Amino acid sequence: MDKILRIDVGADGGPKATTVAVGEYAGLGGRALTSAIVSKEVPPLCHPLGGENKLVIAPGLLSGSAGSMSGRISVGCKSPLTGGIKESNSGGQPSQVLARLGYNAIVLEGNPKDNTLYKVFINKDGVKITPDNSLRMLPNYDLIAKMKAEYGDKIACISIGPAGEMKMCAASVAFTDMELRPTRHAGRGGVGAVMGAKNIKVIVLDDSGMPIRAPKDPQKFQDANKRFVNGLKSHPVTGQGLPAYGTNVLTNILNEVGGYPTYNFKQGRFDGAAKISGETQAETETKRGGLATHGCHRGCVIQCSGVYHDKDGHYLTKQPEYETVWAHGGNCGISDLDKIAMLDFLDDNYGIDTIEMGATIAVAMEAGLAKFGDADAAIQLVHEVGKGSHLGRILGNGAAMTGKAFGVERVPVVKGQAMPAYDPRAVQGIGVTYATSPMGADHTAGYAVAQNVLKVGGDVNALKPEGQVELSRNLQIATAAIDSTGMCLFIAFAVLDQPETFQALLDMLNAFYGLNLTGDGVTELGKKVLSMERDFNARAGFTPQHDRLPSYFKSEKFAPHNVTFGVKDEDLDKVFNW
Amino acid sequence: MQKRRDRCLSFFLLPEDRIASIRKTNVTFGRKDMESYPRLAFRMEESRLLSFSRLLQQGVTIRCRVGCSVSAFLREELHAKDATIEKIQSIMLDGKPVDNLEAAYVSDGSTIALSAAMPGLVGATLRRGGAYASFRTAITYHEGADIRRSGEGFIRIKLFNLLMAELGPDLLQRGFFLTSKEFIGFIAGLSHDFWQGCRQVTLNSEPIDPLKLRDPAWLFHKEQVFLIVFLG
Repeated sequence: MDKILRIDVGADGGPKATTVAVGEYAGLGGRALTSAIVSKEVPPLCHPLGGENKLVIAPGLLSGSAGSMSGRISVGCKSPLTGGIKESNSGGQPSQVLARLGYNAIVLEGNPKDNTLYKVFINKDGVKITPDNSLRMLPNYDLIAKMKAEYGDKIACISIGPAGEMKMCAASVAFTDMELRPTRHAGRGGVGAVMGAKNIKVIVLDDSGMPIRAPKDPQKFQDANKRFVNGLKSHPVTGQGLPAYGTNVLTNILNEVGGYPTYNFKQGRFDGAAKISGETQAETETKRGGLATHGCHRGCVIQCSGVYHDKDGHYLTKQPEYETVWAHGGNCGISDLDKIAMLDFLDDNYGIDTIEMGATIAVAMEAGLAKFGDADAAIQLVHEVGKGSHLGRILGNGAAMTGKAFGVERVPVVKGQAMPAYDPRAVQGIGVTYATSPMGADHTAGYAVAQNVLKVGGDVNALKPEGQVELSRNLQIATAAIDSTGMCLFIAFAVLDQPETFQALLDMLNAFYGLNLTGDGVTELGKKVLSMERDFNARAGFTPQHDRLPSYFKSEKFAPHNVTFGVKDEDLDKVFNW
Repeated sequence: MQKRRDRCLSFFLLPEDRIASIRKTNVTFGRKDMESYPRLAFRMEESRLLSFSRLLQQGVTIRCRVGCSVSAFLREELHAKDATIEKIQSIMLDGKPVDNLEAAYVSDGSTIALSAAMPGLVGATLRRGGAYASFRTAITYHEGADIRRSGEGFIRIKLFNLLMAELGPDLLQRGFFLTSKEFIGFIAGLSHDFWQGCRQVTLNSEPIDPLKLRDPAWLFHKEQVFLIVFLG
């Protein structure tokens, strides 16, 4: 992995592929690489859908190797949703395949000369770009079926659905899973719209004939990987809870503590929670012949995903994640798992971020477009997005746009991006991250619970409320670092509790590249990434005033605990003081 | 009085160690209690216990000793061993995360929910005594200055995720109360599988056709149902 594939979509005669040495970006992967390229090469004041913006797709540092959990892939650009820098990442097979083909990244750049749609095929022999307008407005599942018919079933695909082609701000980039289904998405921030603006419908990857990437020290790498896997398997979250129930296992506990945003963030408890919980979901999947335990890419040992079948036992969608079940479920007052699974399928098929779409529908329900709890109406609204009707164009551009269009004040967004499934009034520390992350409201921006290991900024007194600012800072630094390795963020649970597992991860990186990376080095990497991102946003016009939650979170009491968001603005401004 | 209590305990078909535990609590059941609740018993194949999972998530009410610490409640009422208590990483008392099991007390009418370690930052935040406890200061449980009355009372208990298998069977066999509305919802949601694995149903010790349970008419004017599950 020592080269970058740059595709100039505005070249004379159609898109032109050029392979260049990785050069100054050597040693970077995942989020570190996407943010470095965007930060250096994209003018911060450019239009996100214009020719100056670039879409960067980068596998992780260990992707394509035998290292476990190394299959995440990052997508970066200037976000059409937030107007700031964006890194959105996903699971699926393409990360491993792209890395085995030797690419550190694919960069889509330039401005298309006309509206011709293209497909890109990459294998060991090179890159072939072909115009194919027959793919226009194909939903992801149909598109992938067509690619499978054309290129066989040994491929992995990166694609956009109709929402991406229509350049909607909630559009995702889809990545195929082990079964060659477009179920994994870089959902947040409208990255699919940028791919759509480049007129690239699909990138087909075939690594036939390419070997697994070899570490510099195979023995040490194998040993470290073994310790890493053992650490993951022995941890109660990664070894038991996640494999058994998936991320949706969080529904019950969030609901119980009154932190489950319900009816467009009006209250913290949903009466129908047990009907859509991870426990109920797993039971339903097993009973219908689906899978409650499944990986999103080869080499995953946590297996937090699954396969959801309909009542007749036919495949409907992959196991919807917690954020999806919440966004389309409790947040919209919907307690029918089958309808939520259908919404998940439609989001994947049209290529839309499930969090943004669920939050948008809830805002639309508040506006009176549908009643809370009306699942069929929610499904119809998603179809409107897929069709690109006038209403669908509004909805497909996210919660903030929908709130403006319909005059709704209560719109739960930061920097234009919808909040995920944890109310910041009940769990205020996560509100600090929502407010200050360069990405907009994003639960994964401060997800890597590695405080005990990394000790970023020294020890923090966790029992003092003011410690929330320091903790959020440390979490964001640790997350940026893990996102840069391309490892699944869920490894962070084992890393938190088991320093030896964190050391095993470092040993894997060191054995693979012949490095001497330490915990301090990881911290510095995380700080470097965040600094680049913050700098880009500042040049794009972001000020401390953008690092705020909507004001109603400070004034509107949240039941059942009747709490408001209490972290002061001046404390939020201290998050990035290091 | 002792004879009447023993008769009552036998009537509820509680296991011997459970009867012994209740005897120690120095409480008595009144005749009114005995007569006011329909008592349903299901004899089930163990493999069908999963059918009760939604009930356990939503919560069931048990009659037990109150005024004790959460720690004592777990050990003495739920018979949780040290390994199980270690596995219970998040405890919510009346919807508030508990950090210190010895310093939080269950009272008559309390709701207690139990979860194993959960993923994500928020999962870590909700762990008892965790490094991220400050993130949820606004909702953390703090023991009030209320006088803690010891004796018997009703506690609503919810079991989530891995703890359903760990503590669920004991709870089901101990017996619990459901409101009529909860019971109707439970019966309505049962699948064919459940009834296939149900070997016998009795109402107030008399066998009853399970189909009759689906007609809510039999619950007319009954606010609660006592339900107990036998395995085998």
